[in-house]
Amino acid sequence: MSGGIARGRLAEERKAWRKNHPHGFVAKPETMADGTVNLMIWHCTIPGKQGTDWEGGYFPLTLHFSEDYPSKPPKCKFPQGFFHPNVYPSGTVCLSILNEDSGWRPAITVKQILVGIQDLLDQPNPADPAQTDGYHLFIQDPTEYKRRVRLQAKQYPPIV
Amino acid sequence: MAAAAGAGADEEELEPLFDYSRVQPTIAFSFDDTDIEKSDIFVHCNKRRKVADGDGDAKADEGNEADQKAAAGPKVAAVVDLGEEDWLPSPPPKPKSTVRAELENNSLMQELRLQKQAFAKFAESAEDFLEKLAQTAKQKVEARIPPEHIDLDKSPERQVEDAREKVVITVQDKAGQQQFRLYKDEKFEKLFRAYAKKVNLSLADLTFVFDGDKIDPASTLEDLGLEDEDMIEVRHKPR
Repeated sequence: MSGGIARGRLAEERKAWRKNHPHGFVAKPETMADGTVNLMIWHCTIPGKQGTDWEGGYFPLTLHFSEDYPSKPPKCKFPQGFFHPNVYPSGTVCLSILNEDSGWRPAITVKQILVGIQDLLDQPNPADPAQTDGYHLFIQDPTEYKRRVRLQAKQYPPIV
Repeated sequence: MAAAAGAGADEEELEPLFDYSRVQPTIAFSFDDTDIEKSDIFVHCNKRRKVADGDGDAKADEGNEADQKAAAGPKVAAVVDLGEEDWLPSPPPKPKSTVRAELENNSLMQELRLQKQAFAKFAESAEDFLEKLAQTAKQKVEARIPPEHIDLDKSPERQVEDAREKVVITVQDKAGQQQFRLYKDEKFEKLFRAYAKKVNLSLADLTFVFDGDKIDPASTLEDLGLEDEDMIEVRHKPR
């Protein structure tokens, strides 16, 4: 039953996304080799915000939905080793609205998740570090941090 | 009580200096009790007390034998119960029954009940009437609409061959969104040209994207599985 609820909700999310979504963002369910669609895994793209050091980067993000969605939030993963104070070495994003015990609400949409993560990119939360590299540079060496962010944005140019 | 008060008043005049008044009440009370017991108003109380006394006497007299005690107990209890039943319940039923009877007999109440029933029936009939109305309305609407629906349903299938189906596609750029209406089996090229003309830019500087993938101008909406009201994005290439 819960799986039905999750898939039903995800189908609605996809429908809404196709009709309208913020510019530069991509969010589409995984398509299997045989052409079938897996609604439980979404491949997304988050554009770096204009006017920030993240601008020009189109960062790939994967959403892993569980059968308990939307009671539980999806796990959101950047590529392994993604440079950001609040991203674990595994790539998992650490954000209050993605925490089941903190800010997650079933009403939060995929759109809100992606926009929330875009905001997080340029506004790291130093109170909740998830990796040493990004955290230490952000705290101790802002110049080097900036350089690393810009470098990473270049590593993820627009696919099209 | 009046007699006791009178006696108290007589003696108060004589004994202001002594504490005799404190002792007096106990005597007066005992006196009063006996008076009350004898008075006709408290016949029932007297009966009870006599029964209770008899119980005590019986127990004292018959004393040691357990069987007789047991026998005496229920008997006494039964007597007391009967007395209570005679004494207590008899008054209440009368007022209850009279009140009920009054209520039942009351013509106003009866009228109200009848009216209530009448209203209930009226409401039911009104509901039925509304339902019937709704049904007839539905039937009428259905009777009218189906041909239209059939026309709508059939027309695309028929017209796909001659007229083709049109859909609305939203094109989003950084500034905002614009909507274009085009045929489903039409190539994107026409849409792209229309957009380029609208924004006054060269087609070469524009990239159209659906779900993160570049759209081939030679493909059609059907090729990409685009549906009515879907949105594509356009990116302006930096010069």
